[in-house]
Amino acid sequence: MLQGKNIVEGWRSLFIHGLLAILFLILIGRYYYLMVVFHEKYAEKAAANHIRAVPVLASRGVIYDSKGEIIVDNAPSYTISVIPIEVNNKPESIKRLSEVMEVSIEEINRRIVKNRRGSFAPAKVFSRVPFEKISHLQEHRLELIGVTYSIEPIRSYVSKLDLSHALGYTREINRDDLDRFSQDLDYQPGDQVGWKGLEKYYEAQLHGKRGFRYIEVNALGQEIGEVIDRTPINPIPGDDLYLSIDSELQAVVEEAMSDSSGSVVILNHRNGEILAYLSSPGYDLEMLSGRISSKDWDELITNPRKPLYDRGIQGLYPPGSTIKPLAALFALENFSNARERTYVCRGSYRLGNRPFGCWKKSGHGKVNLHQALEQSCNVYFFNLIQDIGLDEWSHMARKFGFGKLSGIDIPRENKGLIPDSRYMNQKYGVNNWTKGNLLNIVIGQGDVLVTPLQLAQFAGIIAEKGYLYKPHFVTKVVAKDGAILQSVEPKAELMIEASEDSWKFIQGAMYSNVNDQKGTGKAARQKNWTIYGKTGTAQNPHGEDHAWFIGFSLDEKFPYAWAVLLENGGGGGGKAAPLIGKVLRKMALLRK
Amino acid sequence: MNLRQYFFAQLRELDWTILALTLLLCISGLMGIYSIEVQHGTDTGYFARQGLWTFLGVILFFVAFVIPRKMIHNLAYIAYGVGIVSLFIPILLSNGGGVNRWITIGSFGIQPSEFMKIFLLVALAKYFADHKRRLSSVKELLSPFVMTIVPTLLVLIQPDLGTALVYFSILIFVIFWAGIRPLYFFLLLAPAISMLAAFQTLSFFLWMGLIIVVLYFSNLPFWNKALNFSINIALGGITNVLWALLKPYQQQRILSLIDSESDPLGAGYQVSQSLTAFGSGGAFGKGFGEGTQTHLKFLPEQHTDFIMTVIGEEMGFIGVMVIIGLFYLLIAKLITQAYGVKYRFDSVILIGVSAILIFHIFVNLGMIAGIMPVTGIPLPYISYGGSFMLTMMILSGLSANMARIRRAV
Repeated sequence: MLQGKNIVEGWRSLFIHGLLAILFLILIGRYYYLMVVFHEKYAEKAAANHIRAVPVLASRGVIYDSKGEIIVDNAPSYTISVIPIEVNNKPESIKRLSEVMEVSIEEINRRIVKNRRGSFAPAKVFSRVPFEKISHLQEHRLELIGVTYSIEPIRSYVSKLDLSHALGYTREINRDDLDRFSQDLDYQPGDQVGWKGLEKYYEAQLHGKRGFRYIEVNALGQEIGEVIDRTPINPIPGDDLYLSIDSELQAVVEEAMSDSSGSVVILNHRNGEILAYLSSPGYDLEMLSGRISSKDWDELITNPRKPLYDRGIQGLYPPGSTIKPLAALFALENFSNARERTYVCRGSYRLGNRPFGCWKKSGHGKVNLHQALEQSCNVYFFNLIQDIGLDEWSHMARKFGFGKLSGIDIPRENKGLIPDSRYMNQKYGVNNWTKGNLLNIVIGQGDVLVTPLQLAQFAGIIAEKGYLYKPHFVTKVVAKDGAILQSVEPKAELMIEASEDSWKFIQGAMYSNVNDQKGTGKAARQKNWTIYGKTGTAQNPHGEDHAWFIGFSLDEKFPYAWAVLLENGGGGGGKAAPLIGKVLRKMALLRK
Repeated sequence: MNLRQYFFAQLRELDWTILALTLLLCISGLMGIYSIEVQHGTDTGYFARQGLWTFLGVILFFVAFVIPRKMIHNLAYIAYGVGIVSLFIPILLSNGGGVNRWITIGSFGIQPSEFMKIFLLVALAKYFADHKRRLSSVKELLSPFVMTIVPTLLVLIQPDLGTALVYFSILIFVIFWAGIRPLYFFLLLAPAISMLAAFQTLSFFLWMGLIIVVLYFSNLPFWNKALNFSINIALGGITNVLWALLKPYQQQRILSLIDSESDPLGAGYQVSQSLTAFGSGGAFGKGFGEGTQTHLKFLPEQHTDFIMTVIGEEMGFIGVMVIIGLFYLLIAKLITQAYGVKYRFDSVILIGVSAILIFHIFVNLGMIAGIMPVTGIPLPYISYGGSFMLTMMILSGLSANMARIRRAV
């Protein structure tokens, strides 16, 4: 019945109209609430959705020498990262990457886990990648979904000087340090962090502050491009360090040292600046700053010459005769007849029935204090120490900075050992140590242990007649805009009070040690100017004696105080003194 | 009178507001799809194809408009039968598992379940025009119920809960319109509501209270009241027990029926991204082609179910209101006409089309705004989709056909 009449009641029509109105009002209300009332909240969410802040690494501060020449700079280097979520979906990428980079898949996966910052954020897997590898990756980029590369600043060692132990190196930050620096949000997995030496000590200054670029990403986390309406935050480069290192002197020192094991520390005794610092053998900073292969690392740590060992501040050696001026100064200050007092040296000294030898088997004959220092007579000091006593001696040794940290601005310094009676009682038992130990100590043998830096400091204190300028490498810290953030003013500390005469006497004896015909350090003698010195030969139970030569110059041009150590170098006069002699002659020539 | 003269004669009876509103909505949809395509910078072909569907749709609108009512009435059951048969084809062609909605011809897939909406509506219209002047007993509802349940079950197998619900919404509107007693209507819908309410204790008790009140004031015999009440209580009780008896994977299977096309990131993700897009659009939107959520593919199903999200993000609350306004005008027009037309057949078709529109619009716009569950229900005239577009254009044409302007000659 097509023509059946429409008999619907009016209320039914109204009901449907009402239903329509209600449903649409619900929708309108909901959309108003979403789009107008809560607009701000969702706008923020939308922005967070698609904008990724990509960190831009700050370049580390540059390190300059005393002349303002660059020692350590930054250079661009290629870094390869992978985006975890993308390579998870495309394991072939990792396989291909492993082939190109010649590193196992497991190793790559391990690095991804280590440097992971999120599924979509690139995790660094290779740094310092050679350009050929990058161009190779570029050619194969279609097989390398999720693999990205970027350019990052890395350390570049401009100076070829062997300052490895002073400078130290940077390494990728590890999880422990990340936790330790967790307050400081500026560290992220994959960052470089100072690991040794000045790089570590001045990490806070050198590191700089990362910047950010804002990249738009899509729902898959793929980068679309730079966000236009958000200004990138530029990275703030790290502050520059100006060192007191005199590159010319350092080079001369290295040349003189050549291949020997040992250490040379030369500081300016007028202000504490370290002018040359060598611990030999050193290591290749380039190699350690990158990702070192386990083979190279094993070679480094098993090398019997211990290249990683910083002899200058960590090496503990008996000082040998170099420490004799200490007892001499004590005598001068406390015994009125110190200058006149003589002892007869017959080549050895008998304590009970035990003989203690002098280095000169034939003996020095009758010697006074000056001669004893000049000729480094052991027997004289064997006699003298018995009038001084161990505790008096060690008290004075501490005043000279032995047995404690110098506070130099590189980490992991050793403080050495200055025995006193308490120590001896503890070590050997009360009354179990004898005068014999005492005799050894006064000539810098036995239990006494010092670092080359401490001996250089010792020489400096004698040069400055009791005053010490704290040794340091960094003279100023300068921001990139030129502002001087930190500047080290020379500040002297009076370590030992002694009469002018006593200092003059010690200095005179050290003058003779170098300049007199009988002086043991005469190999260091200079033609037209004067240096002061003291040789040392430290007996070494493990092999050949260590050779020492410490000294200073009061010349305006060369306010040097130094300590030279040649491991297993034999006699100080024979090996160490000539070395410094050679260095100073060359310097005098260069600075004419 | 040749065909051309006939066509122009017919055209004089066309209510242009229906065509105009339909076309405005189609153009909005095309703009949305164009924006997606421009932003993605790749030629996905959606815009071109949707343009083609719209063009074909306009032709079908006029076909549906000019086709004589008598022919529609005569062919209604045959068309319904053809529709039912066509619903079997995707199931028979299926290799088991997955979603089987399409009959593929060349590179185009046809969704018979879309066209079934027309056939079902026309068949129901014929039934109510031919048989009952007024629905007086529940028994008289049996035939329309069977007519609806058959295609419903067939699309549930596909599985496509959304379309099944569309079929049911047509039935519910039509029987209400055909004159069912309000009490019967209430009691008919009550069991379904009881089962849903059973998932929450308070709502279940409130609902049961309402049933008691309605039954108390009804003039049903006591046994009938008791039976009705018992059925609702029992269904509510059983629902929970049955649900608890199901193994988790079975529960999941039922839940996935509601959300059969969820993407790997999950339905929650879709909706939250959709809300973000709407919210960030604000009152005036980010501008045409500027939607970051869309541009960056955060939005799933952009050109189909979530097309309105794209429009909302770029055109803002204002844009959404314009489209909701267009829909309102169209539906209100159809309801008014359904009341005003002379014949019952025409009236039922008009209310059926309104039902389809209301259901699609409320469920789709509610879903993408997070107030309705995620079901794969597209937005009429605006979402991308060939079968859906053609179906909706035919329904528009049919409405125009039924709501002709009778001019005094």
